[in-house]
Amino acid sequence: MAITVNQLTLEIGTTSVCRDLSVEFKAGQFWAILGVNGVGKSTFLHQLINTKSPQSRCISVNDIGLSRYKNRQKSLAKISGLLLQEYEYNFPCSVLEAALIGRHPHMSNWQWESDEDIRIAEEALKATALYDLKDRNIKTLSGGEKRRLNLATVLTQNPQYFLLDEPTNHLDLKSQITILKLLSHKITRKNKTGIMVIHDANLAYQYCDHVLLFYGNGEWDAGKTQELITVENLRRVYDCNFQVMHNRHTSVFVPYQEGKEDSNESNKEDSKEDSK
Amino acid sequence: MFIGSTEISVEDVFRSFTGNGTPLTQTLVLELRLPRALAAFACGAMLSIAGVLMQVLLRNPLADPYVLGVSGGASLAALTIMLLGLDIIFITSGAFAGALLSIFMVFVFAHGKGGWTVSRLLLTGIVMASGWMAIISFVLVIAPPDKIHGMLFWLMGDLSYDRPISLAYVILIVGFVLTLPLSRQLNVMIWGDKQAGSLGVNVSRLRLQIFFISSLLTAGAVSLAGGIGFVGLVVPHFVRLLVGNEHRILIPASALAGGILVVLADTLARSVMAPQQIPVGIITALIGVPLFLYLLRRSH
Repeated sequence: MAITVNQLTLEIGTTSVCRDLSVEFKAGQFWAILGVNGVGKSTFLHQLINTKSPQSRCISVNDIGLSRYKNRQKSLAKISGLLLQEYEYNFPCSVLEAALIGRHPHMSNWQWESDEDIRIAEEALKATALYDLKDRNIKTLSGGEKRRLNLATVLTQNPQYFLLDEPTNHLDLKSQITILKLLSHKITRKNKTGIMVIHDANLAYQYCDHVLLFYGNGEWDAGKTQELITVENLRRVYDCNFQVMHNRHTSVFVPYQEGKEDSNESNKEDSKEDSK
Repeated sequence: MFIGSTEISVEDVFRSFTGNGTPLTQTLVLELRLPRALAAFACGAMLSIAGVLMQVLLRNPLADPYVLGVSGGASLAALTIMLLGLDIIFITSGAFAGALLSIFMVFVFAHGKGGWTVSRLLLTGIVMASGWMAIISFVLVIAPPDKIHGMLFWLMGDLSYDRPISLAYVILIVGFVLTLPLSRQLNVMIWGDKQAGSLGVNVSRLRLQIFFISSLLTAGAVSLAGGIGFVGLVVPHFVRLLVGNEHRILIPASALAGGILVVLADTLARSVMAPQQIPVGIITALIGVPLFLYLLRRSH
């Protein structure tokens, strides 16, 4: 069971995201995708379940070519869940209702949500610490609560493949850790696959066993976290210097600006805020 | 059935149905009031379902069936035929053809190379609608004075004369039957194209289905009774607040509520100033505007 990418070449306009990318996202693996803004991380993530693009021929899901899911979108949605970077909240609706739409791929046209479906949604709300808010209107939620609700919807969908576009956005530090622990737990214990776009290399280092690095200009690297997250590679990804600090549990990578003379006012401001 | 320029008692109405009434009441009830009530119901139901669909398509709980210019195309065709002095049957079928033409034009212009976006569809519709409005104004300016009255009635939504209602019921039933199986997908579609797509909805196909069904229903309503305003906006919005976003309930409930609202509005339209009749569109607007303003205030 895997999502297999074979010789994928992807472009956004004239910029190259990746050239000849081959990688296999297997069950039990938790992948992080790292790269600068606009390098094509989300485009790549969406590509993994886009049955209609010409590139879909380079991808297979559970040994079936992606384009063959074209007329069976629902069966693809049963096994792959996508957490979007942003959501629309146009219609008033309760938190529980919002989580329940994750059951859509598992239900036929005329089927109504069963007690079991509701139980699954409530479990997901409990796991994301939203159960007490289940009857609240989604419009009254805070940014972080909305983000946890988005995740609860994907958990309710209960797919084999979790495609997560910046799941820790808007979350406070404790929630970031709780959510990543929850995901990593789900992935290792239940033998699922996680593929996550994230901007925090340290969280990726702690929770993901594999990483996919986008360097820009179509260059990439994929493999074990321990081997690939290094000061050199991070510099190549983010185009800034990193310092590594070790403690009893883990290593921490801290970015820093080289040569104080070069840095302008705004950079100084930034580093001041970082140090707070 | 009971209220109007001639008061008929409940008893007499019942007798007319069973065929035992006086010839006068029998004619009034069976040939004037019953078809009119049926037409009113069909109009309200069609506009309300179209309103629900349009709200999902444009992902805005405040969208209405006329927002994409369907009624403009229908009105222009109807007015032109009135100007030529043709029979009612031509007005109805002409309005229907005008609506279809308008739908087709919006579809072609909005569905460009990059596919659809909500804003592009909305802009195309609004621009088309104002284009139609300009030509309608022109027709009103050049129309002879004796025809203006009828034209204005038509524009404001009017059920006062005899119209072929069987076509309207065919469209209503077809629209309803086509919409219900999509309802589950509509529940997901309100979350946006990307979310719906990732949950297994074929978004481009569903969008086309919603567009054509809602346009067809609007065309049916407009050609039957002209531009009855606010029903397609207020009813779906109000019913959504009451029953939530489960479209398998929302759609039948909206159809029923919209139908009943227009029947009541039309009863008022033909009785408040009796024997003078006023366009039903005025009544629905007079009910709709304050109700809408109230809902808008409450949602903030």
